Amino acid sequence: MSRITLSLTIALFTAALAWSVSLRQAILFVVGLGMGGILAGARFGFTTGWRRLIEERDPSGVIAQIGLLAVAAAISMPILQLFPGDLMAALGPPSVSLLVGAFVFGAAMQIADGCGSGTLYKAGLGIPLNMAILPMFTLGSFLGSAHLDRWLSLGAIAPVGLVKEFGAGGAFGLTVLGLAIAGLLALGWSRRNSSETRVPWLDRRLVIAGIGLALLAALNLIIAGQPWGVVYGFGLWGAKIATAAGVFDPTSNAFWSQPGNFSALTQSTFLDVTTITNLGILAGALWISARKSPASKPLTGQQWIIGLLAGFLLGYSSRLAFGCNVGAMVSGISTGSVHGWIWVVMAFAGSLIGVRLRRRFSF
Amino acid sequence: MPLRNKTLLLFWIALIVFLGWDWLHSAPINHRLEPPVVAVGSGQAPTGGHCSAF
Repeated sequence: MSRITLSLTIALFTAALAWSVSLRQAILFVVGLGMGGILAGARFGFTTGWRRLIEERDPSGVIAQIGLLAVAAAISMPILQLFPGDLMAALGPPSVSLLVGAFVFGAAMQIADGCGSGTLYKAGLGIPLNMAILPMFTLGSFLGSAHLDRWLSLGAIAPVGLVKEFGAGGAFGLTVLGLAIAGLLALGWSRRNSSETRVPWLDRRLVIAGIGLALLAALNLIIAGQPWGVVYGFGLWGAKIATAAGVFDPTSNAFWSQPGNFSALTQSTFLDVTTITNLGILAGALWISARKSPASKPLTGQQWIIGLLAGFLLGYSSRLAFGCNVGAMVSGISTGSVHGWIWVVMAFAGSLIGVRLRRRFSF
Repeated sequence: MPLRNKTLLLFWIALIVFLGWDWLHSAPINHRLEPPVVAVGSGQAPTGGHCSAF
C-alpha cells in the first residue's frame, strides 16, 4: 500500500475514533502513531540497545534510553506533584513476582528480539516472527494477569512512589543520580573494549528518537492521566476472547473481577488507553514500512518454536513484572516508581542469559 | 504478491476482524460519559487499566 493511501486510511480511522468513540482516544491514537513512527523510523530498540552493550560494548543505545528516561522524568514528575488527583504514576509492588517476571522477560526479549514496544513496531513493519509472536504475547499476558494473585501471595510490599515520598524535586534528583550511575557503568564497560575501533558512545539518531519518545510518553500521561503502557492491552484482548469462548470466568478471578478491569472487559477495546496507543504504534510502523520493507532472514522450524515460546513468556512475565520496558522501565522510572528500578536490574540480568540463548539457537 | 506482503495482509485482516467482532459484541459507547480530552486539570481521577496494575 502506498503512503498516500495509508495516510488517508489512518486519517479516516482517526476521524471515526473521534466521532464514534471519543476525541481523547483519537488524540491518543495520533500519539501512538508518533511513537510507532519514531520506534520504527529510528529502529529504536530497547532490546537491541542492551544487546549491543553486552555483546559489542556499544553503549550508544543505552545512553539514548537514559536520555529518554531523564527527559520523561523531568516532565512527568512535576506534573504528577501538581495534579495528584488527575494523574497516576506507574506504581507496581516490589515483590517476588516482579523479580521473577523481570528476569524472565529480560531473557525472553533477547530471544524474541523485541520487548513490548519492539514486538509491536516490528509486527507493524511486517517482520514475520514478531507478527506471529503477538498472539502468543496476548495469550501469555492474559494468563499472567489471571495468575497474578497467586504470584503476589509469594511475597510483596506496597508500591513505593518517589514523588510522593520526596516531592518532585527530590524524586527527580534521585532519578538523575540513578541514571548517571547507570550511564557511567555503561561507559565504563564500553571503555574496556580492547579493540582499536572503539564504537562512539553517542548516536545522534537514537538520542533524538529517545527525546521524541520521552515527549510523547509525557503527552500520553497528560492526555490519558496514566503513563504509557503496552502489556495491559494485550491481556485485555486475551481475556475478552477467553471470556467469549466460555473458557474463562472473570467474576471468579482476582484480577479481572476488580471493577476497573471488569468494566474494561464489557466495554469496547477502543475505549482502552493502552489498546489505542498499541494500535497507533502498529499503524505508525506500517506507515514507515510502506517506503522500505525491512529485511528479515528466514528462520528454521526450531527457531520458530523457540521464538513463539519466547513470545508467550514475554506476555506472561511482563504481567508478573508489572510492565515491560515501557510500562515498568520507561513509565515506572519516569513517574518515580521504585519497581521500575528493580525491573531494570532483574531484566538486565535476564538479558545476560538471553543473549547467550539467542546465540545458542543461532538467531 | 510476495510472501511477506501476504503474511502482513493476513496479520492486519486478523486484527481488524478481532476489533470488528469486539465492537459488535461490546456495550454501546455512552457519549455522555466521554472522558476528558486532557486529563491534566480535569479534576477527574484516571480510570484506565495499566501494566503496573495489580
